[in-house]
Amino acid sequence: MITMMRFIQKMSVTMMILAVVATAAAGTEISGFVQGLYGYGSDRNNPVPSELTASEVRLQMRLESYSDAAEYFGRLDFVYDDYLEPEYRMILREGYLKFSVGSNVDMKIGRQVITWGTGDLIFINDLFPKDYQSFFAGRDDQYLKSPQNAVRATFYGGPGSLDIVYTPRFAPDITPTGERFSYYNPMEGGYVGGEGFIMDPALPDAEVANGEVAARYSKYIGTIDAALYYYRGFYKGPVGMAPDPADPATMTAFYPGLQVFGASLRSPVLGGVFWTEGGYYDSLDDSEGDDPFIPNSSIQSLVGFERAVNQSFTANIQYQNIMITDHDRYLETLPMGMNEEDEMYHLLTSRMTMLFLMETLNVSLFGFYSPSEEDFYGRMAVSYRFTDEVTMVVGANVFESADPWTKFGMFDRNDNVYMKFTYGL
Amino acid sequence: MNWKKERSEKVKSPSSDERMLPASGGRVWSIAMGVAVALMLTLAQFSPVAAEEVAAGNSAAGNSAAQENTVPDAAQLMKEAHLVMFYAADDGVAEVQMKIVNSRGKERLREFAMMRLDLEEGGKQDYYTYFRKPHDVSRMSFMVHKLPKETDNRWIYVPSVDLIKRISSDDKASSFVGSDFTYEDISGRHWTEDTHKLLKEDTYNSRKVYVVESIPLEKYKGFARKVTFIDAENKLIMKEEYYNAKGDLARIFTAERVEEHDGVLTSVFRKMENVKKKQYTTVEFSSIRYNVGMKESIFTERFLKNPPREFIK
Repeated sequence: MITMMRFIQKMSVTMMILAVVATAAAGTEISGFVQGLYGYGSDRNNPVPSELTASEVRLQMRLESYSDAAEYFGRLDFVYDDYLEPEYRMILREGYLKFSVGSNVDMKIGRQVITWGTGDLIFINDLFPKDYQSFFAGRDDQYLKSPQNAVRATFYGGPGSLDIVYTPRFAPDITPTGERFSYYNPMEGGYVGGEGFIMDPALPDAEVANGEVAARYSKYIGTIDAALYYYRGFYKGPVGMAPDPADPATMTAFYPGLQVFGASLRSPVLGGVFWTEGGYYDSLDDSEGDDPFIPNSSIQSLVGFERAVNQSFTANIQYQNIMITDHDRYLETLPMGMNEEDEMYHLLTSRMTMLFLMETLNVSLFGFYSPSEEDFYGRMAVSYRFTDEVTMVVGANVFESADPWTKFGMFDRNDNVYMKFTYGL
Repeated sequence: MNWKKERSEKVKSPSSDERMLPASGGRVWSIAMGVAVALMLTLAQFSPVAAEEVAAGNSAAGNSAAQENTVPDAAQLMKEAHLVMFYAADDGVAEVQMKIVNSRGKERLREFAMMRLDLEEGGKQDYYTYFRKPHDVSRMSFMVHKLPKETDNRWIYVPSVDLIKRISSDDKASSFVGSDFTYEDISGRHWTEDTHKLLKEDTYNSRKVYVVESIPLEKYKGFARKVTFIDAENKLIMKEEYYNAKGDLARIFTAERVEEHDGVLTSVFRKMENVKKKQYTTVEFSSIRYNVGMKESIFTERFLKNPPREFIK
C-alpha cells in the first residue's frame, strides 16, 4: 500500500511537471501509450516461482521539446506488474538533451538508447545493453534495447562521421536471472530458478577506469554504408566465473574485461539489401586463453541478405560465425567434467514478415538455429490493428535444444505464449 | 537530352484563373501503412504545377506544345506533365494528411511532414518523410535517394531503438504491401518507359485537356494501359485511369483541389480510387512551401536521426 501511495505521488508530480512544461514551451509535444501484457509459461518443469511470464500494465509518457538551441526528449514508463508479487515501477527509459556545437558536432547527453551495426538481432559491434528478459516476455521490440546513461558526441565532416560514446557506469545486458525466467546453471548441473538461484552478478567497481568507451567511424561510399568500430569495457553478460571473495570455496559470475575492433558494410544488391560485419573480441582478462572460466578471445562475423519476396512478404537470412582463438590452450586448461565449447560456432537466422488486410494484420516469424550447438529459438507474433489507436498482439517464444549448456538451450524451459493490447496516442 | 533545369529561366506565377481548377471525381490510392505509406507519400507528395517550368520545359525541348493551334507530341506532353507533377520548383516542404477509407467506410489516418529536393530536372531527387501519426510510427523518419531507372536508396530511422535500417527497393513494378498503389505511381514513372499516343483533345471540368494513352514498352504489373488527362494550359495531371491486362479499369486518380503556393500551382487534395476493392485514399497537403533553399546535406544520416527543425517543426 505504501509503495502504491509513493508511486501515485511520484506519478502525479511527474504529470504536473509534464503539463507545466507542455504549456510553457511552444515546440512541445506529449504522447504515449497504455499497454497490457499477459504471458504464460507453457513448460510445467520450469523451476520458477510463477507460471506467468508477464502480467503487467504499462503507461508510457513521451515528452519532446525543442527550441532553436537544443532539444529535450523524455520517455517515462509507469508499470504495474503482478506476474509474481504486485509491484509498481517507474522507469526513465530515455531522458536526454541534444544540441549542436558549431556546425559539425552534435551532442546527446543523458539516458539514451544507442544502436549501431548491421545484424538483425545479432550484435557484434553493438555492445550497448540489451534486455533479453523483456525480449523473451513479449514486450515491444523497443524494450530489447536497454538505455544507458551516456555522453554521445558525433563529428560530421567530409571524410565521414565519427561517433564517440562514453558511459561512465558500465551498463550490462539484462538476462534471465532465475526469477521470471530460468537458466541452466553448470555448477548445479540443471535448470535453476526461484529462491536461492536468483542471479545477481556484481558490476565492475564504480571507478572511472571502469567506464565504457564505444566509437564508430562511418562513411557512405557510392551506395555502400561502411563503418569501423571500437569498444572498450566489459562483456555485456556475466560470462566469467571467479572465486567469490567472501567465500573462496564457491564460484561467482562476473563481467570480464573486453575490447572489440570491428567493421561492417551494407549495400543494396540483387533487388535486396546485403550486409556483413566482423569483430575481433579481445578478452582482456584472459588474453592468453588459459583461463577456462573466462571466454577466450574470438573472431565473430556475420553476413545477411533481405529482400521483398512479393508485395506483402519480406524475408531475410543471416549466418553468424564465432571462432574461438587459442582453442588448444583452452582445451588444455579445461577442468575435467566441464562441457567443452567447439572452436567454431555457427548460427543461422531468418526473419519473415507478412502483411495482410492493408497492413492491419502482421505476421512475423524469427528463428535462430545453431547447427553446431543444435539449439533453436523461435519468435512468432501475429498483430492486428483494430483502429489507428488500438492494436492486439498474440505471440510465442519457443526454445528447443539437444543440450542444456548451449546459448539457447540455457533457456529451454522458458517457452511461453503471450497476449498484448496497446492503446496509443 | 539534358533535362537539367535552368533555374534562372523561372518566370512568374500563372494567373489566377489558371489555378482555379474545379474539383473532380475520385481517384483512389489504396494505401499501405507504415513504411510503405512513407514511401509512397514521400514521392506522391507534391504534384504541383508550375507554369514557369512548363514554359522552361517547352523551350528546352524546342517543342511547340505551348502553341495553341498545333497538335502536341504525346511523349512531349507526358514529359512536361511528369516534370510539373514531380519536379516543381527546386525544393518543397509540406505537411501531409492521408485518409484511407475501406469498402465499409472505416477510416485510417496518417500524418507526416515531407521534404523534397531536386538534384536534376527529371532525374535525381532526394526525399525525406517525418511521421507524426499514428503513435507507433511517430517520430520515425524515412529517406530516399531517388535514381531514375536505377534502384533507389532508402533508409528508415526508428528513434525508439536508435536504429537505422536500409530498405530494399526492388518493388517499382509491384504494389506496396497490402495496397493497390505502386511505387511508380508515387515516385513518377519515367515517361521514356512507355509509348504515348494522343487520343484526343477534350474538356474536363470545363477546361481543355489532352487525353494521352500510354502503353508500357516492357510488360508491367502496374498497368497494361493508362489514360492521362493533362490540362492543356498548365500541364497538370487532372485524372489518370489505370487499366489491367484484361482491359478492366482498376484505379482512378484525380486531382481534387488545386492551389497556388509560392507561385507554384499544386494539387493539394488528391484522391486515388481502387475500383476493384471499392476503397479509396485521399491525400491533403498543407503548410506548403517551395524554394526554401534546402541543401543536399539534409538528406544524410545526420538529419535522418535529427529532423531539421527549420523545415520540420
